[in-house]
Amino acid sequence: MIDIPLALLFTSILGAVLAGFVCSTMGVFVVRMNLSSIGYCMSHAAFAGAAFGLMISVDSLISAMVFSFGVAFVLGPLSEKARLESNVVIGFLFSVMIALAFVFLNFIPGQAASGAALRILWGSIFSVGYNDLMFLLLLSFVLIFFIALFYKELLAVMFHRKLAESAGVNTKLFYFAVLFFTGFSVSLSLRLVGGLLVFALIINPTSTAYQFFYDFKKIMIFSPVIGIVSCLIGFWLSLITDFPIGASIVIVSAALFAFAIIISPKRRKWNGKQRKMGFKLNT
Amino acid sequence: MNVIDLQNVETIYEGESIPVIYNINLTVKAGEFLAIIGPNGAGKTTLLETINGILPYTAGRGFVLEKEIPIYKTAIRKEIGYVIQNFEIDPLAPFLSKDIVMSGRAGKIGMFRFVSKEDWEIVWYSMGLVGMIDFAHRPIGRLSGGEFQKILLARALAQKPKLLLLDEPFSNLDFSTRRQIEKLLNRIHEKQQMTIVIVSHDLSFIPSRCSRVIVLDQGKIIMDGEKEKILTSTMIDNIFHKKGVNQ
Ligand SMILES: Nc1ncnc2c1ncn2[C@@H]1O[C@H](COP(=O)(O)OP(=O)(O)O)[C@@H](O)[C@H]1O
Ligand SMILES: [Mg+2]
Repeated sequence: MIDIPLALLFTSILGAVLAGFVCSTMGVFVVRMNLSSIGYCMSHAAFAGAAFGLMISVDSLISAMVFSFGVAFVLGPLSEKARLESNVVIGFLFSVMIALAFVFLNFIPGQAASGAALRILWGSIFSVGYNDLMFLLLLSFVLIFFIALFYKELLAVMFHRKLAESAGVNTKLFYFAVLFFTGFSVSLSLRLVGGLLVFALIINPTSTAYQFFYDFKKIMIFSPVIGIVSCLIGFWLSLITDFPIGASIVIVSAALFAFAIIISPKRRKWNGKQRKMGFKLNT
Repeated sequence: MNVIDLQNVETIYEGESIPVIYNINLTVKAGEFLAIIGPNGAGKTTLLETINGILPYTAGRGFVLEKEIPIYKTAIRKEIGYVIQNFEIDPLAPFLSKDIVMSGRAGKIGMFRFVSKEDWEIVWYSMGLVGMIDFAHRPIGRLSGGEFQKILLARALAQKPKLLLLDEPFSNLDFSTRRQIEKLLNRIHEKQQMTIVIVSHDLSFIPSRCSRVIVLDQGKIIMDGEKEKILTSTMIDNIFHKKGVNQ
């Protein structure tokens, strides 16, 4: 176990909580709207962007966002049409982003190159600065506000996009809002969790929550709770074992997911319960 | 008042070159109950989605409630209840039936407005109409095909639409559920004077209050008239028989 100054510890814990919150909140939408591959691509673009920022000595947060939004801009309209070529483009961009990231990492100037490079690869609790914290906090509030204000529209879009559209909801707006907030979330969490793993923090807690609840409201509440818990336990695990923080967070969230699959009431019980309560099928 | 007015409408899917429906001339007056029949692939779904503007038409002009569809599509859609053709619902889908019925009102309530008590009353009323109150808290993935169909119908009704578009609402249902929904549609039409357009590829299931039938084949309207006349015509036999053999 490493000795860490209290202020730093506090910053890092708060950073972990907020990263867990924003990522696993967006996860609810990303998973339900089948945006996983697009989100995956966006998070790797953010990774490449962060590396690019380090290379040219710009704030890696900004370059991560630029790259990630760039990908959303290209892929968003393509995937929206659900055309075949969108999968090809996603695969293409994904590999290009990874390749670019490693090229950029290779050219990071100065002595601390390998340290900085490793940090955006694997994440680090030391890289969460005051600015990141403020941005994460701001994003958290914006997300809460956004979801509370547009809950009925979001639920309609999550259920069935065409039906929502045909009832007069502007589904395009919400589709791009989800991509936009996902880009923010991965870019802001990147330095903590690391570029290669940040997307797991979007998918895992949400997938865990989906194992337990049928009520969208509950998923909206428990996905972030599970995300935060994963980050906190992962943080602690990283402190006592010296694992990279990103890896331990992802291991914890994956373990929770595996556990959820095993004990999931959704996968096991319904048939028995249904019979007991005397519901009729095929009426 | 014309609820639907299509003039020489043609619809081509994006990326395609051949129109799926063409030369469509169709006028539907307020309060009419209309059935569109035709074999699979005739373009019935395409026609419905051209009416609510989900698919933009590529020629001609179309009006719903006397508003031009491409210009006013959002406003128009708030007045159209749409029951989509049967789709597979993920059994783990995280939605309760009552929330799905409420989702029909999402557009109508409008952006920046919250769901009110009156909205919930309308939702309960629609669920009552289709006899699904007891299922309000049941996850939609755990409904039978017929129950899900009724929830989708309640969802469209909760919109309090002026026009109801139903795309093969009887497919995948057993006989008694079909009869229930048929009765329900008759009742809604009688009580609420709603304009209803129902699509069917099964001649034997046209609700009794439906008085006008349109036959769509290979993308164009080949017959339009009173139900009795059309259903006894010999052409009907040919169309449905021909397709039946081919498929
Ligand atoms: N998204 C699409 N893109 C291209 N062609 C389509 C699309 N959807 C349907 N079609 C074609 O349009 C024709 C009519 O389809 P549809 O309107 O669904 O028929 P129906 O509802 O009468 O069975 C079919 O030949 C079908 O292949
Ligand atoms: Mg169809």
